[in-house]
Amino acid sequence: MSDLKLKHLEKVYDNKVKAVHDFNLDVKDGELIVLVGPSGCGKSTTLRMVAGLEDISSGSLIIDGKDVTKMPPKDRDIAMVFQNYALYGHMTIYENMAFSMMLRKEDKNVIHQKVLAAAEILDLTSQLNKKPSQLSGGQRQRVAMGRAIVRTPKVFLFDEPLSNLDAKLRSATRREILLLHKRLNATMLYVTHDQTEALTLADRIVCMSMGHVQQIGTPLELYDNPANLFVASFIGLPPMNLFDVEIRNGKAVCADFEVDLSEEDKEILLPYEGKTVTMGVRPENVTEGGHIGVDVFSNENLGYNTLVNGTAGKHKITCKFRDWCTYKAGDKVMVSFTKKHFFDKDTTKAIR
Amino acid sequence: MAEMKVETIRKDRLRFTKNKLFANLIILSIVMNALYFVNIYRTDVGNYYYSLMIGASVVYNLVFMLVAFLASEGVKNYKIGYGYAAIVLGLLQAGRIFYLPMNALNTPNPKVGAENTTVMTGGQFSFVAICLGISAVLLIVAGVTGIMKTMTLNSYRAELEKNSKRD
Repeated sequence: MSDLKLKHLEKVYDNKVKAVHDFNLDVKDGELIVLVGPSGCGKSTTLRMVAGLEDISSGSLIIDGKDVTKMPPKDRDIAMVFQNYALYGHMTIYENMAFSMMLRKEDKNVIHQKVLAAAEILDLTSQLNKKPSQLSGGQRQRVAMGRAIVRTPKVFLFDEPLSNLDAKLRSATRREILLLHKRLNATMLYVTHDQTEALTLADRIVCMSMGHVQQIGTPLELYDNPANLFVASFIGLPPMNLFDVEIRNGKAVCADFEVDLSEEDKEILLPYEGKTVTMGVRPENVTEGGHIGVDVFSNENLGYNTLVNGTAGKHKITCKFRDWCTYKAGDKVMVSFTKKHFFDKDTTKAIR
Repeated sequence: MAEMKVETIRKDRLRFTKNKLFANLIILSIVMNALYFVNIYRTDVGNYYYSLMIGASVVYNLVFMLVAFLASEGVKNYKIGYGYAAIVLGLLQAGRIFYLPMNALNTPNPKVGAENTTVMTGGQFSFVAICLGISAVLLIVAGVTGIMKTMTLNSYRAELEKNSKRD
């Protein structure tokens, strides 16, 4: 396995559309990096540039200390797992997994051992004589991963591999990818638009929007200390509640409620006294009991949690309570905020 | 995964790979047979010799191609019966050399003006005999190898089953 360096990577298409702007990333040996962002943010383009499926307009790509920017895909020693599996329908699972090595004219006995080892890791041994059409979506995706594993590449690339699976299977396959990463200790670059996948899988997350990197950090860093409003609203489910508030005498004040600031918040918001900032509160940081009245309009029981949606005056609020709640539309619930995030209204950057 | 010996790997591979090479040899034998009958039918030899038997010849060639194709699929999937079928077809192909080509080579040409010649020339005889010969060899080799590989696979499977029961 190897480290991967993306230096000032940019992608400009022939029609002058710039899909990726100045992308910089150092991936350490054995690290699992997740590129996350909404559709069209440039994450798949970045991955395809690493794979060699897209030309790099400027910047350089270094794998294991070697500049591979201009190198054709077959020479980069990279394996890619696609969303649609890309399996050969007329071949058996065994043949699908062995195919790339057969093309490289590797020894048949070695190929056999590698395929069996990969099949054992992925629990596919009993499926080796079947055709892809006889397997479930999850099993097919495991075959696609197996095909990548057998090559023992320097870097694994995953392009939204779980998007075609149903929720239950997605969760199970996600765990398998995590186990696989721990077992192989492989360098992996994983693209998804699903922030749950990003938070559960990643060693570090790269959050992207409009071709720009918004923040790079561990899942906890992105969740707890979002760098800007985009990251704050993108990471976390349900998304963060956002309010425009004025900082006034140690309080965040809006038309419908006011909240006291902690000493720490007061200090960092000192330059914003009398100004309007954006205050973000995660639904899980809204607790029952307090002085902010929320008029409930829906109550969604999720088992362990309850999502209560309501309004505080004109402001919509989503609350995530750790109880089984039975609020009805029209009920009023009093809440308070335990943790708040503040963002500059003009730059959208976090105020720290 | 436990380390396997080379011989065991070779046997184990049979469980997951098809006997494609030898199945393709049978397909090649069908091609050789096609070359044979095309050569016969497009010359006077066919008209002469097959005045009564030409229908049977066409039917035989059709049946041969069908059975050989089935044998090819069977050998590919390690079905021992099709291995034997391939050998029988191979022997029949070899036998055919001594039927039409050989007789036509030794029969004087009845056409006026073609005295002192035979129905089939030496050059044509060599060509069709080689076609049939190659076809026969390919079928026999594919059949024998298919049977051997199938037996190896079956005994290996039995061994695996025995080991799994013991475990």
